[in-house]
Amino acid sequence: MKDSTSSISSLIRNFRLRSSDPSIFIALIFALTLAISSFWIDPYLAYVGTSWVIFGLLGLSLDLVWGRGGLLSLGQTSFYGIGGYVGSIAAINFAPLTGNSLIWALPFGAISGTILAALVGWFIFYGRMGSLQSTILTYTFTLIVWTITLSFTTEIGDAVVGGDNGMSNIPGFVLGFGEKASSLSPNMMFLTVVVISAIVYLIVAFIVRSPFGLVIDSIRLDAVKAELLGLDIRLFQTLMFMLAGAIAGIAGALFGAWANYLNPSIFSVQEALLVPIYVLVGGLGTLIGPFVGALTVGGLSFWLGGGVIGGQTTLVMGACLIVLVLFLRKGIVGGIQALFARIFDDLEAKDRLSQQTSQVRVNLNLLEKLQTSTNVQRDATLKTINTSKRFGGVLAVDSVSQNFAPGKVRCIIGPNGAGKSSYLKTCTGAYEPDSGTVLYSSQDITKINPFERVKLGLGIKMQTAQVFDELSVRQNLWIAGYGNGLNKERADQVSDEMLDVLNMREISTRQASTLSHGEQQWLDIGMVLCLAPSVILLDEPAAGMSKEEKRQLSELVRLMARTATVVVVDHDMDFVRTLDAEITVLHQGAVFAQAEIDELRKDERILDIYLGRRQSVTDF
Amino acid sequence: MELDFLATLLLSSLSSAAILLIATVGLAVMFGLMGVINLAHGEFIMFGAYATLFATQIGIPYPLAIIFATIVTAIFGGIVELLIIRRLYGRIFDTLLATWGLSLVLYQSAVLIFGTVTPGIGLPISNIQIGDYSLSVYLLFLILVAVVLIGSLYWLLTKTSYGITARAAIQDRETASAVGVESARINTMTFALGSGLAGFAGAILLPAIPATPNMGFAFVIKAFLAVVAAGPVTLTGTVAVGSTLGMVGNITASFWTSVVGDIVFFLLTITILRIFPLGISGRWRMKL
Repeated sequence: MKDSTSSISSLIRNFRLRSSDPSIFIALIFALTLAISSFWIDPYLAYVGTSWVIFGLLGLSLDLVWGRGGLLSLGQTSFYGIGGYVGSIAAINFAPLTGNSLIWALPFGAISGTILAALVGWFIFYGRMGSLQSTILTYTFTLIVWTITLSFTTEIGDAVVGGDNGMSNIPGFVLGFGEKASSLSPNMMFLTVVVISAIVYLIVAFIVRSPFGLVIDSIRLDAVKAELLGLDIRLFQTLMFMLAGAIAGIAGALFGAWANYLNPSIFSVQEALLVPIYVLVGGLGTLIGPFVGALTVGGLSFWLGGGVIGGQTTLVMGACLIVLVLFLRKGIVGGIQALFARIFDDLEAKDRLSQQTSQVRVNLNLLEKLQTSTNVQRDATLKTINTSKRFGGVLAVDSVSQNFAPGKVRCIIGPNGAGKSSYLKTCTGAYEPDSGTVLYSSQDITKINPFERVKLGLGIKMQTAQVFDELSVRQNLWIAGYGNGLNKERADQVSDEMLDVLNMREISTRQASTLSHGEQQWLDIGMVLCLAPSVILLDEPAAGMSKEEKRQLSELVRLMARTATVVVVDHDMDFVRTLDAEITVLHQGAVFAQAEIDELRKDERILDIYLGRRQSVTDF
Repeated sequence: MELDFLATLLLSSLSSAAILLIATVGLAVMFGLMGVINLAHGEFIMFGAYATLFATQIGIPYPLAIIFATIVTAIFGGIVELLIIRRLYGRIFDTLLATWGLSLVLYQSAVLIFGTVTPGIGLPISNIQIGDYSLSVYLLFLILVAVVLIGSLYWLLTKTSYGITARAAIQDRETASAVGVESARINTMTFALGSGLAGFAGAILLPAIPATPNMGFAFVIKAFLAVVAAGPVTLTGTVAVGSTLGMVGNITASFWTSVVGDIVFFLLTITILRIFPLGISGRWRMKL
């Protein structure tokens, strides 16, 4: 009985992880229903409904940026509006030549949205701007674009952009070619927009399931860790932002063709406010949610609206946003998914209990074999020359010069506040030193980004276990293998091998958040090993591990040190003792002593530092 | 260029920097002491302006009306904090969205209640003559108001027990609560203080900027950008960024249009943020 439940649940779980989630099928059924309904619904409803689907497409662009990318952008309507204007200007001028209007409007809309998003994205992501700053920046960008367009007038060919008066004579939906081609009926227009939206959705859904999507997810979950896996997060985020800009641009071009008229109100705050409402009503991060949200909001105001809401849409929508944020975070699609998840999770929870006893047992023989087979640079060294880092009045790192080379484990110890972590961070690139140089072999890496250091061959494990919570164990390792070089085959192979090394094959489909603390540490170490680093920096790797786990870790570290440069920062002296390492003692930011452990134990001054005895501390 | 023109340009730039500072400090205080950006800030300013207008219409003299408006807006802000902001604690973007919703609710309510045109305050506006140019005395007076406002705010946050506990709470919430600071109450007070400052801005600027439902828009672009460009040391940073960029914005606006002024302000801000991702005060040692 127990066996059968667990096999059923693992079947379900595997199904869910393979096809990720059923939302893509639900989306297709949803699109098909809309498409079929277009043949019999009332033409007026079809006409109004077309705009809801367009708004859903606009919502999709925000959902991608916000739900997947983790940036709340209040600027999607500016890409939408620019896409609308540029696409419509192209259609006004070129559609008379071909008949078909969409072949002009859509590409021009998409390209202009992409370019504008690239520009904004470059400032935000390449400037490494804080998330709140980014949101405010997108908001002010929207306001600025709005104020500019209010008074902006120009003539481009046959198109007249008339500031507040707007731009009219935008060709409608013409699919046929030649002079006789005419605009589609409302019902066919609805069908066309549903089909275009479904195609865009499918492309996005495909991208989200690709390695690119996995990278975007991992950046949202932990941007610092993603960068420590060698990923240029700025590039990926900008690309994601550009994709969203393209979608918004397409939506804008469709809107222009639908309304036959555009004015600056497309850029207004009232318009911008609707986008997060669609996303929140439908469900953040679900991709299909924005369409559900837009149709729900549109439908409600269509059937209930009229007299009640009348001209007070702004008031009602503003209040809606407050209520949504306060009480209904998951939205419609998110709510349904959570319901399903609860049913499955009960099964999974039982499953988990049966696995809880699984202990990590590292397969060192396999690791050793892998180490010798991969062609890692063998003699890479890490060197710092007079590195200093100051925080306000505190000299956290005081001209530390060290030369780390392979062969023997190197340890950095010191009491709390000695500057161990700060020093390590100048090596990883998290801090730029105020003075001094950091060298990787002979290359100066003092000023380069963390991901560039990782690409050179640095492997970094920070103090706390950093894993991507919502991703499975296998995905965590896969992304680590993928980050350096963006090679899928290598990622497949490396993550597969590492599952065996860590003995985690049985739990490979589990979400990392469900792992125990010790398991997360091992997974994190495994991710570092996936990079095949030639210089490995470990900050308190043994924290939170059992005695047996520490023993295994110690073996692993010594094994790695045979071929790679390994630096361990720790103050767990029992663990450090087992590493047979050369030890550097930091005190008040500076190198205090450097020797083998046995020598250090004879040194009274070291004891003084650790015990806080007065004499040597002040003498030094 | 002639001397009188330069003097006028300087004084008018100073006064528009002063207006910007008066309109921004409330936002800066909330951001600095709560980590919250209030997107309804512009509408809080409008709230203060209408409160002043209401008070003067029932016969309260203008100086007292300013105090009335400040207090009413502060109370309103306190209520908003209790009903909305408090429930979103730690969810910074939800707070942002909720205040955004609030801003449109307030805007549309003002349109409904007051219409889009309102009577002025009816204060006699006197001008002084500088060479060929004339400047409003009230605008010059606002420079003084800004200086006094910043000074008293600095005093409030460094010398009073409220200010010290509020700054303690934002720096280390756990330690602060361990020594008995009630961060929830402090947050309500800070939000009320920020709102009150917005209300004060609306009231004191009323003779220069008439009350309309969309008057908040005139400030928010520059106010948000100034706070974001200022960075973690919000008050000093905002004063530095706000006065510099406010003057630059005014000079460009006086040669071209106010839209150009906004664009220049925006471009300068993103340039600043490109160089200092955390804002100009990202590496400053001071804390206020």
